[in-house]
Amino acid sequence: MNTLSTWVQTPGAQAVGWALVHFLWEGVALGALLAAAVYLLPSSAARVRYAAACVTLFAMPVAFFVTLMVLLPGHQAPARTAFIAGPIAHGAIPIWHPSDSAPTPLNLAELLPWLAPCWFLGVLFFYGRGVAGWLAVRRLRRRGICEPVSACRRHLARLCQRMSISRPVQLLESCFADVPVLVGYLRPVILVPLGCLANLPAAQVECILIHELAHIRRHDYLVNLFQGFVEGLLFYHPAVWWASRVVREERENCCDDTVVAFTGDARVYAATLATLEHRRAVSLEMVVAATGGSLMKRIRRLLSTPQPAQRSATPAFAAGLLVVTFAAALAAWPASPTPQSAVPAVALRARLLALQALEPQASPLSSALQKLQNSEPDAAFRQWLNPHIKQKVRSEVSSQNGFALLSDASFFSPTSAPDAPSARQQAQSTEMPDPYRKWMNEDGAYIIKKEERAAFLRLQTDDEREQFIKQFWIRRDPTPGTPENEFREEHYRRIAYANEHFSSAIPGWKTDRGRIYITYGPPDQLEDHPADGTTFSVPYQRWRYRLIDGVGTNVVIEFADPTGKGEYHMTMDPVEKAAALGVLNSGQTTVEQMGSPDDGQANSPTLARAAKVFQSAQDSRVTVATGAVPVDPPPVKAANGLYIRKVFRFGQFNNALVVALGPAAGTYSISATVTTAGGVVVQVFSTGAPAPGPFFRWLTTLTPGSYVMQVLIKDPSGATKSSKTPFTVD
Amino acid sequence: MLVKPFDPPRPTDAELEILTVLWSRGAATVRAVHEAIVRRKPTQYTTVLKMLQIMAEKGLVRRDEKQRAHVYSASRPAEWTQRQLAGDLLQRAFGGSAKSLILGALSSHRASRAELAELRQFLDDYEKGKP
Repeated sequence: MNTLSTWVQTPGAQAVGWALVHFLWEGVALGALLAAAVYLLPSSAARVRYAAACVTLFAMPVAFFVTLMVLLPGHQAPARTAFIAGPIAHGAIPIWHPSDSAPTPLNLAELLPWLAPCWFLGVLFFYGRGVAGWLAVRRLRRRGICEPVSACRRHLARLCQRMSISRPVQLLESCFADVPVLVGYLRPVILVPLGCLANLPAAQVECILIHELAHIRRHDYLVNLFQGFVEGLLFYHPAVWWASRVVREERENCCDDTVVAFTGDARVYAATLATLEHRRAVSLEMVVAATGGSLMKRIRRLLSTPQPAQRSATPAFAAGLLVVTFAAALAAWPASPTPQSAVPAVALRARLLALQALEPQASPLSSALQKLQNSEPDAAFRQWLNPHIKQKVRSEVSSQNGFALLSDASFFSPTSAPDAPSARQQAQSTEMPDPYRKWMNEDGAYIIKKEERAAFLRLQTDDEREQFIKQFWIRRDPTPGTPENEFREEHYRRIAYANEHFSSAIPGWKTDRGRIYITYGPPDQLEDHPADGTTFSVPYQRWRYRLIDGVGTNVVIEFADPTGKGEYHMTMDPVEKAAALGVLNSGQTTVEQMGSPDDGQANSPTLARAAKVFQSAQDSRVTVATGAVPVDPPPVKAANGLYIRKVFRFGQFNNALVVALGPAAGTYSISATVTTAGGVVVQVFSTGAPAPGPFFRWLTTLTPGSYVMQVLIKDPSGATKSSKTPFTVD
Repeated sequence: MLVKPFDPPRPTDAELEILTVLWSRGAATVRAVHEAIVRRKPTQYTTVLKMLQIMAEKGLVRRDEKQRAHVYSASRPAEWTQRQLAGDLLQRAFGGSAKSLILGALSSHRASRAELAELRQFLDDYEKGKP
């Protein structure tokens, strides 16, 4: 203690003390300059505001050190010494009498020498906190992470190229990050929450990646470290924290602008931010924060809606800052450090205003389609997209994922494939006797060619039809001339097998598995994953064919049975596949879905080709989703506290299922199926959710029409409740 | 039939990495898990196999023995493990201070229910106003 008392009387310590006191007014002056700049500049000028805040933040430690240098003995002019040393010399006279019963009022001069050690402790604390944070970040980028599938990495590489970022950027999925974040400067890593890449539409994933890449390109991480340095050094001054916060928020605004500039659509990005916030809100227990919505303000800025009474906040805040700081200066006592979290976030975006030049164009359709074509270079995807463009589908960017799913569903749904052509044909061949019609629509349904079918329909007499059928099989006989027709026998064996093994409510030959089995025969390899009684999986099968003529090699086809009734559907839908794979947040990514091969199992492009084959063979009609949304149905009460609260509309982007869970605590398993009024399954998912708390799941855009959502909830004790909610999309 | 313990123990860091792969990819064979991990750090195939076997015994993963190549899947969803690990002292001590060292698209505070509702309302209105 004695050493310390001696030390605080040294000129060096006193110079530090005075530099700290002088910085009180210096900080206020610099803060006021920044406040004026922020007040005068429109919120669209995020870059200028950012630069102003950065300069201010840089000027603060410079001002402090310059003052310190001037005050240090040996650097100062004699006159100045007298002026500054005066009060200190005066204060050196002890005025504290322990015998006094009443405490003496605190004296500036007496306390001043102690400023330096107090300040030093504070700096140690904040830098210690910084080191702890650095260690935590190191853990974050090493623990619970996993490389995303190669399609996502390629997507990132393409974006890096577009944004001319030469540094290697790593993209990792993390089970600890609850929002996408960027860490590291020399080896930057983008951490995205688990399932984020798989479940969000490709356009939204792209927005997230561009935002994080913009941080890298702007060297924001370095600036952030510098901010930490300044905040720790001058922790006692509110103006420092405020300037630092302006830097932070303008930095995000700058990145927002970059995203909009690159994608050309502010709405998709706004929806992305909102979706991320929703995902985070429901990912763990809801924390009801009393702070204001900075995100709200950011989205307002993006969509250029001026917020009433925004400007008035700035002078008020600046005036408040001045008053507080002067009061602190007068008290000549370090103001208590203001931790970032204690500052209400209400003020965060309150200063941002005015219009944003990069608004979405007048025609959403053209920009949407243009964007789809420009931003997704995958040939398969574009090829897939082209017919839809020709049809002048009114579609929104965000539904690109949605209509991919739906059209797949219509390719493969059992009712649309074998039934659609047969229904049409039946109308034309009303006079055809039953056995022949049955032969055409059942026995030969999957192998009869279009021309053959047309020829068969033109036939007039039963004799001709008998002859036709005979020729039909002879043409397919692998060993003509022998009495046995191996092809025909095999074909009927397959039908029998399908009926025996794949029948549920629908006859086996009509199911997806039946169709594949009859058309392509038994798979070379079959993985069967029956339900195992636990809550997180639905039964599924994976069939692997080494070669299918005209489709490709190593074709993998998956069938899932989301209802558990034995009706396996072919899955192309990542949501259904995620359900099929039985683990939350898994499944194909949207990028994968565009047709890039996955690591090791290159099945997507081949399956896409398979889809085309089926389309031409069955001539089924492609249903195209448009960007429509369902209206609110009334809440549906199931039983015992379990109820589907709402299927609500959320902008044009997503529809959501909200389920309130309870009363028992534990993990509930939820599976939901959206079917059309005709019973065709368009959406299937299943997941586990912890109770209590609401559960959300985003659904993709649906075509206009009537739908039924059937939700099955299994509570921790294993009891199940189900409910049906009809809703319409118009 | 594998007898699962009622509550599997908290996964270690190495186990967590494997679990993350399984959460991300869904059910996967040992080879697929190994391929995903080896891209980040050199790991022996047998190490991954052994780990998965141990984790299956602990009940952290499930093994499907129907095929020749065993398919593993996580026995608990990611949220469950996150809650388990939330009690991790290191995680708690450092978590708060790490926030200033991370650049995220969203601020570090969570939005409240009211804010989310406001946000949704705003986007809805925006869509209505700008067809």
